[in-house]
Amino acid sequence: MSVSLFNLPDCLVLSLLLVLIGSYGVFRRRSLIMILLSVEVMLNGVNLSLVSFNFFRWGATEASHYLYMLSIGVAAVEAAVGLSMIIVLFKNYNDISRDRVAQLGERA
Amino acid sequence: MRGVNLSSTRSGTVPVSPVVEITFAISAVIILLSSLAVVLVKNPVRATLLLIVSFLPTSLVYILLQAAFVGILQILVYAGAIMMLFTFVIMMINPSPKDGESPVGGSDGGEGAFSGLRGALIGLLFVGAAGAMVLPLVYHAASQVSVGPVTKPGFGGLASISALLFEDPANNPMTVSFELISFLILVGIIAALNFSRRKGAEPAKPDSISTRPTEALPIVRREPAMDAK
Repeated sequence: MSVSLFNLPDCLVLSLLLVLIGSYGVFRRRSLIMILLSVEVMLNGVNLSLVSFNFFRWGATEASHYLYMLSIGVAAVEAAVGLSMIIVLFKNYNDISRDRVAQLGERA
Repeated sequence: MRGVNLSSTRSGTVPVSPVVEITFAISAVIILLSSLAVVLVKNPVRATLLLIVSFLPTSLVYILLQAAFVGILQILVYAGAIMMLFTFVIMMINPSPKDGESPVGGSDGGEGAFSGLRGALIGLLFVGAAGAMVLPLVYHAASQVSVGPVTKPGFGGLASISALLFEDPANNPMTVSFELISFLILVGIIAALNFSRRKGAEPAKPDSISTRPTEALPIVRREPAMDAK
């Protein structure tokens, strides 16, 4: 392989680091909004790997660009539904921490 | 739609121009630093804005990867719409972000053995160990995959992508699945509307609708009895 900086392994390493950073946020943060933001960071890494695979290894069609559009559609829906759930939680309990959500089923 | 001359990268073995390399390196550093700051910063509004900051060099990397339309979508849809939604919700439910006990902030993991700095160190160690194990594998495996460089004319352009998606719609499976995204978004809208409906709410009477701003705002009745005991 070449020793240039801009090739498939470098893009994949960048996307892997993004996924790891996002997973650190998902496991570490307590607020639900911050967990959703960390999920967006992870999705960003996955999208980067999709597009870089398409450019370096599959230049015949833009299949991964299509997958990217699917991915951001799913991300938009996930953000909308998740944020509306967060709003309902905040209205009812005035608290959107992860621990409060974990207690939801106990008192039903 | 091609912003940068990338003709030398097509074979995958020829060294690319140093401009592309430097742009990619700077973008990668900005992406990583701002994503790390998103995860670590306390104030959620700042986290959202830092995530937007990390999206801008990401779209630059997409343009370097000859995916200019995807880069534009990244700015328009992600940084424009989705992050706007996050900012809106954070501003709405977090009236005093300077307050240390704000319910939205809360960066420290819960009480117990994994709280505070020690928990952060354990988390960093765990994630770092996972990365150190996977990273060389990724690098090695990615170097071994056979090269399939860009051969399509107009790769990544709007005309090329739309031809891929909508050409011959009767026999194109991508058309159907792409249109199914809109159905998914419709389901998301219905779910969000259903969440915002109050339990046992009657349909609004016509005389209860007022244009006065103090009455138009819904009065949320908190029920502390649900978890006070």
